Amino acid sequence: MNIKEFKQALFADGVEAGFSEMELYYEREETFHCELFEGDIDEYSTSEVFGISFRGLYEGKMGTSFTEKLALDSIPFLLESAKENALILDEEEKEQIFEGSPHYGEANFYSQDLAEVPIPQMIQLLKDIERYAREEDPKVTGLDALGLTNTETERALYNTKGVERIEKHNYMELMLSVVIKEGDVIKNAGITKYTKDIQSFDVKKIAAELVQEALEQLGPKGIESKSYPVLLRRDTASALLHTFSPVFSAEKAQKGQSLLKDQLGKEVAVSQLTIVDDPFLSDGVLSRTFDHEGVATNRIEIVKDGVICTLLHNQKTAEKAGIKSTGHGYKDSYKGSLSISPTNMYVKPGTHSFEGIISQLKEGVLITELAGLHSGANQVSGDFSFAANGFYIKDGKILTAVNQMTIAGNFYSLLKGIEMIGKDVEFALSYTAPGYIGSPSLLINSLDVTVE
Amino acid sequence: MLAKSVIEEVLDAALQTGGDFSEVFVEDRYVNHLSLQAGKVDSSVTGRDFGVGIRIFKGLQSVYAYTTDASRDGLLKAAKKAAEAIQSNQVISRLPLQKEVISSLHPIEISPKEVEKLRKVNVMKKAYEIAKNYHSSVQQVTVRYMDEEQNVLIANSEGKFIEDRRVRSRMAIQSIAARGGQMESGYYAPAAHQGFEFMENMNLEHYSNEASRIAVTMLDATPCPSGKFPVIIDNEFGGVIFHEACGHGLEATAVAKNNSVFANRIGEKVASELVTYIDDGTLKNDWGSINIDDEGELARKNTLIKNGILTGYLIDKFNGRRMNMPSTGSGRRENYRFAPTSRMTNTYIAPGKSTPEEIIANTENGIYTKYMGGGSVNPTTGDYNFAVMEAYLVKNGKLTTPLKGATLIGNGPKTLQLVDMVGNNLAHGAGLCGSSSGSIPVNVGQPMVRISEMTVGGRKGE
Repeated sequence: MNIKEFKQALFADGVEAGFSEMELYYEREETFHCELFEGDIDEYSTSEVFGISFRGLYEGKMGTSFTEKLALDSIPFLLESAKENALILDEEEKEQIFEGSPHYGEANFYSQDLAEVPIPQMIQLLKDIERYAREEDPKVTGLDALGLTNTETERALYNTKGVERIEKHNYMELMLSVVIKEGDVIKNAGITKYTKDIQSFDVKKIAAELVQEALEQLGPKGIESKSYPVLLRRDTASALLHTFSPVFSAEKAQKGQSLLKDQLGKEVAVSQLTIVDDPFLSDGVLSRTFDHEGVATNRIEIVKDGVICTLLHNQKTAEKAGIKSTGHGYKDSYKGSLSISPTNMYVKPGTHSFEGIISQLKEGVLITELAGLHSGANQVSGDFSFAANGFYIKDGKILTAVNQMTIAGNFYSLLKGIEMIGKDVEFALSYTAPGYIGSPSLLINSLDVTVE
Repeated sequence: MLAKSVIEEVLDAALQTGGDFSEVFVEDRYVNHLSLQAGKVDSSVTGRDFGVGIRIFKGLQSVYAYTTDASRDGLLKAAKKAAEAIQSNQVISRLPLQKEVISSLHPIEISPKEVEKLRKVNVMKKAYEIAKNYHSSVQQVTVRYMDEEQNVLIANSEGKFIEDRRVRSRMAIQSIAARGGQMESGYYAPAAHQGFEFMENMNLEHYSNEASRIAVTMLDATPCPSGKFPVIIDNEFGGVIFHEACGHGLEATAVAKNNSVFANRIGEKVASELVTYIDDGTLKNDWGSINIDDEGELARKNTLIKNGILTGYLIDKFNGRRMNMPSTGSGRRENYRFAPTSRMTNTYIAPGKSTPEEIIANTENGIYTKYMGGGSVNPTTGDYNFAVMEAYLVKNGKLTTPLKGATLIGNGPKTLQLVDMVGNNLAHGAGLCGSSSGSIPVNVGQPMVRISEMTVGGRKGE
């Protein structure tokens, strides 16, 4: 059955069941995924999935439910579950069904070209990468990850206050990790890249850089464990920002779980730092014109020249703060309850090249890989201690790879300890938090480094 | 869940282009999530996942398709689309489906679906009250509740036709204690492959008090010294260290492709002889337990390391092909959106002979970790890391100052050799493990274990 018929039936039955206002949100996602191992297709998958969530006001409270079964017999389940969920809530601040924004930005986040990339071309791209990686150096033993995913999502929101929004977006994700071996020593280096244009993947360069990165890790040395100036390469800077991105949520702040509470208008970072959330970013994986409540999205500066200008809001937190929603209402796909998430959020690039930052550093540590991001961060205090890999810098040059390390510090102090900002922004999705987060390389004045 | 005749048609359609194995996985799952913040229910969501995964093998190639369109046409379309990836003239026919009936190892007394939300909320509120009243510095308590009923049907071209019902329940208590501008948190999240009886019978006092006690204790903690120390890791969730340091490296996902430091080492001494490491999916009603895995294989007890000698791996059907070894009942997946692969269930270090008191008394200068946070591993290199939630400095055989902010790092194979004391207090802790087939419930477990030297990363140099 089609979604419009389903919506009509659902809303009609909903009125009878006693709901005063209702909303239907849906996502339909198609993916193609392929992995290669030693030149052959190892995994290959296709999917087409669909899910709907329902929110309805019952006796003034918002009930939520979802299903993946688009059939008339799902309607009683959605309504009864939502009703029971509404009645059990005892929160004072209430969610509302949104009446619509006066203006929605216009944009196209769907690339027809990307949708039409033939499967053999994607497989060939992976084969090329493997070949280039092996040709790059005899120490390359293979790849322990080599996969590509092409995803397209259609999302729509309808409610009884007249909002009807629908849009589509797509993106491609390339994931690879090369393995090298010298004697008994095994090292790997991996990367995940995102694009809306398969031509933008310079696979020869990607493969060569990764092999180089893995080779550079050979012969690591111990260095003294102490505080060092630390250069977070763009991908690790972005991963760190990603991990702490929930501190910009007004929900966290209002619950007292972010130290940015009551900091609006104050300096929270060095004056060179500006953090932007741009739902209209042309290459953005999470670009959108409306959020999960139907609120129009807009580009905003969260931190401008070191001063925090706004937190990210949905309707509920905005009402509590006496302002308008910033359009960051978010649900984990169509499931889950309504919360808050950035869209495409990034640190505005500075003027320094990555090499330039290294060359002026008297002594420091360059971090090229972080691990344990989900467990090593205290979201409440901002303290972190992550496993890391990287290099020792002396007199403007990379001197040696360093044994496995931990780097420890505090996110809020780090924002005030940024000394240089690169111009090399890179974005990524993450398992630690929602959002498509980008950062250039960042030089931090001091972090505690412990070396194995 | 689906008509047998439709399943047969789908299995056949999947084999049409020359696949040598086809499989259908049907999932119908009901979930409830509730959240209590400051004593008030602030979120309650109910949902139903329903979808089908179709898998085809041809030699060492695996093809997977999944869809929420469970109509006959939708499934046949998905099966055909997947089959397009295979091109061979050798079309085989499948064996007739033989229904297998299993008796559950994990009895469910009270189906969460039949329990009113109010009863669930009452247990949450009780947990909240206990945690909140633990100490005046406890400022916030969040209680989350989850239950789910997952019904699966697995059928394949080898004639398998089997169904299972998995009911799981979990409560997570997070306390935040504050003093001055400082905030610290504590967390406890008991869970089981059990119905609502788990919530009613659980020791709420203990779990709620512990969450708050950790937060309050950490207010007095000093930054952990960094450097190399003997490290004592207490039982229960402490087992996460071996989950990372060795469990993931024993999964066929990594072993089959030689991407594990443990590949091709069966029969070799890979750990101290004090280490016996077991994965057991049959433990009654435990969080990581299963009746059958997600390929329809019966759960079993697999001994992976015995007295330091590597004896086995965790193997799924597909990677078993590359390894030329049979499945060990370890094929698991988060849901129908993932093809299954080898994963852990309840994995633990078998108990040794030392008492916890002995282990601590025998440690002159080291770190004792009471509760661990999560961690991760790079299976290719064996490098792992994990966070410590609650730790103490050990001086002259006694626990002294509480420590915070510690991360332990090391290399799995090296750490396994450095286990020099194993306690007699085995216990298990619940966690969620994320890997290529999604996030799945697992238990980690161990008695108290001492590792003669580990690298501790903290914020205080020494």
